[in-house]
Amino acid sequence: MLLKISWRNIWRNKKRSIIIIAAVMTGLSAGIFLVAFYNGMIEQRVNTAIQSEISHLQVHHPGFTNDYDINFSLKNGAAILKQVQADPVVKATTGRVIIKGMIASAAGSSGITINAVIPEQEGLVTRLPGKLVSGNYFGAGKNNELLISQKLLNKLKLKLSNKAILTFQDKEGNITSAAFRIIGIYKTINTPYDETNVFVKIQDIDSLAGLNNQFNEIAILLHSNKTLKATRLKLSTAFPGITIKPWTEISPEIGLTVSVSEQMVFIFMGIILLALAFGIINTMMMAVLERTREIGMLLALGMNKIKIFKMILMETVLLVIAGCPGGIAFAFTAIAITKRTGISFKKFEEVYASFGYSDIVYPSLDRRQFGLIMLLVILTAIISALFPAWRTLRLKPAASIRK
Amino acid sequence: MNNTVLDAHNLKRVYDENTIPVYALNGVHLHIVRGEFTAIKGPSGSGKTTLLNMIGGLDEPTEGYVNINGTNITQLKGNKLINFRLNNIGFVFQSFNLIPVLTAKENIEFIMLLQKRPKAEREQRVKELLKEVGLADKAGKKPGELSGGQQQRVAVARALAPKPQFILADEPTANLDSVSAGNLLDMMAKLNREENMTFIFSTHDQRVIDRARRVITLEDGKIVNDTAPASLDHTLI
Ligand SMILES: Nc1ncnc2c1ncn2[C@@H]1O[C@H](COP(=O)(O)OP(=O)(O)OP(=O)(O)O)[C@@H](O)[C@H]1O
Ligand SMILES: [Mg+2]
Repeated sequence: MLLKISWRNIWRNKKRSIIIIAAVMTGLSAGIFLVAFYNGMIEQRVNTAIQSEISHLQVHHPGFTNDYDINFSLKNGAAILKQVQADPVVKATTGRVIIKGMIASAAGSSGITINAVIPEQEGLVTRLPGKLVSGNYFGAGKNNELLISQKLLNKLKLKLSNKAILTFQDKEGNITSAAFRIIGIYKTINTPYDETNVFVKIQDIDSLAGLNNQFNEIAILLHSNKTLKATRLKLSTAFPGITIKPWTEISPEIGLTVSVSEQMVFIFMGIILLALAFGIINTMMMAVLERTREIGMLLALGMNKIKIFKMILMETVLLVIAGCPGGIAFAFTAIAITKRTGISFKKFEEVYASFGYSDIVYPSLDRRQFGLIMLLVILTAIISALFPAWRTLRLKPAASIRK
Repeated sequence: MNNTVLDAHNLKRVYDENTIPVYALNGVHLHIVRGEFTAIKGPSGSGKTTLLNMIGGLDEPTEGYVNINGTNITQLKGNKLINFRLNNIGFVFQSFNLIPVLTAKENIEFIMLLQKRPKAEREQRVKELLKEVGLADKAGKKPGELSGGQQQRVAVARALAPKPQFILADEPTANLDSVSAGNLLDMMAKLNREENMTFIFSTHDQRVIDRARRVITLEDGKIVNDTAPASLDHTLI
């Protein structure tokens, strides 16, 4: 009965109710879509990072990570690589030498990270050839070839096929320099990375630095993130004394991006819900004040205050629930469409790239988040209903009826 | 056997106590026995509504007490008082009596629902009452689709539904034309006769006053005349 009265009360002032329902619809669909959009952005960022930057797992000498010291190379790198390559869960793997150094031209110099790679295997792990915007990938036969980004090239006032000087410490700690020919210009979606990284062939650095075919980094790309833990465990048992880091640890800034984005979503949701709450409070206050006389009559007849409180609460919650299907349908349709087409931000490509994001986002939503949003919306409805409902508790029947 | 349903003692109600006090009621004693059909008359502002509110437990007296069927309702508070009203007093107001979103049938059923009466009993009683107030064919109509007189009859039926101790009606005919007013009074009188239901109503309307068996006249918050029969023992039971 209470439910019946509440439901019918909603339709007494159709215009007002429809406004609230529309507000719920808009708020809910905007909220859901926003979360999905952020998810898409993060997922895409993480995938890009794994597929083209950091891989699923990286293996190092325990001392390597912080200072990139050339002496912290993997003693049994070749053996590790061999075992990893044989594992069917591994999609691709490669060894590298990573050293800090300098690049210089007549026009200037810049501190950089030198990535010495095995050309073919590197292509499989990070798709390096695919990142070339001009020039060529490493060829066979030629020595001292260099891949560089356009940004760095501009900074050094160099052009394709010019030479640049790379300087770094060799195994004995002596400063070594060599001229490298720029054969290709690469571009990732991560601008800051591009400005500080160059690629060379591993054998060039190997001979210059006297490394004797040792790596200081092995990158492993898996077919699926699901086998990450098991693979890591297998390796660490087989080769004690090495550090194996998953992508979450290799790139803490990606983890940070994820958590910052989550906070952003919460802030936005908060704003949406706050606006919704104000709308609801306003509307229900009007509804309650308008019906003072009627509520007084209900009190007089013997409807107790708890029931009246419930009636107002129910009215509000029903109003919100009435707006939910529309909002959900709208958001899900939008997600379904944009999931296929993607949302393009071509115009803001530069901005996105400077944060390491690509300019096309594919929204997605998981069940847990959807549940959470629904819970938040319903909670907002109940909390905003409390105030108008509480107002009814103070009504005195005699005075209300006189009105 | 004690047939007293209502006993009000030295009722006073003061408004605006701290500024210019208005004595809406000023020492009213009232004794009502089962089966009475009593009108309260008096000029506007004489305290009729205030008196009905006091004896109906809608407002608290500044002084004095109201005893209904052995319960001192002046001492009841909050939901206890509301529940007492629910089970003991029927109300008919001047206008906007009914819950606008419910049909005539649902309005009559409403109080029995609050009392958690079983469905079969409710259905039975609603049917009975609709017939009694002559609105059997209007069961599914909402108040907005009924005339003023029909609405008041639904209100009487609703007040009657839970078989209260008495029914209070504050100017029930004020918004009705004389034919509807007459019909409503006929109906109330019939219920009074046939079901021995006690009615206490306030009115300005002389034709309504003429139908009452007892007439109490209020002036400035005091009873100035009461045509109570010398002995009330002739009433039924
Ligand atoms: N809430 C209130 N605040 C202040 N004074 C009030 C209030 N309610 C009633 N009064 C005063 O109490 C007195 C009695 O009012 P009451 O409504 O009981 O009279 P009444 O006989 O019902 O009048 P009417 O025939 O116009 O309905 C009046 O002087 C009125 O102004
Ligand atoms: Mg009055």
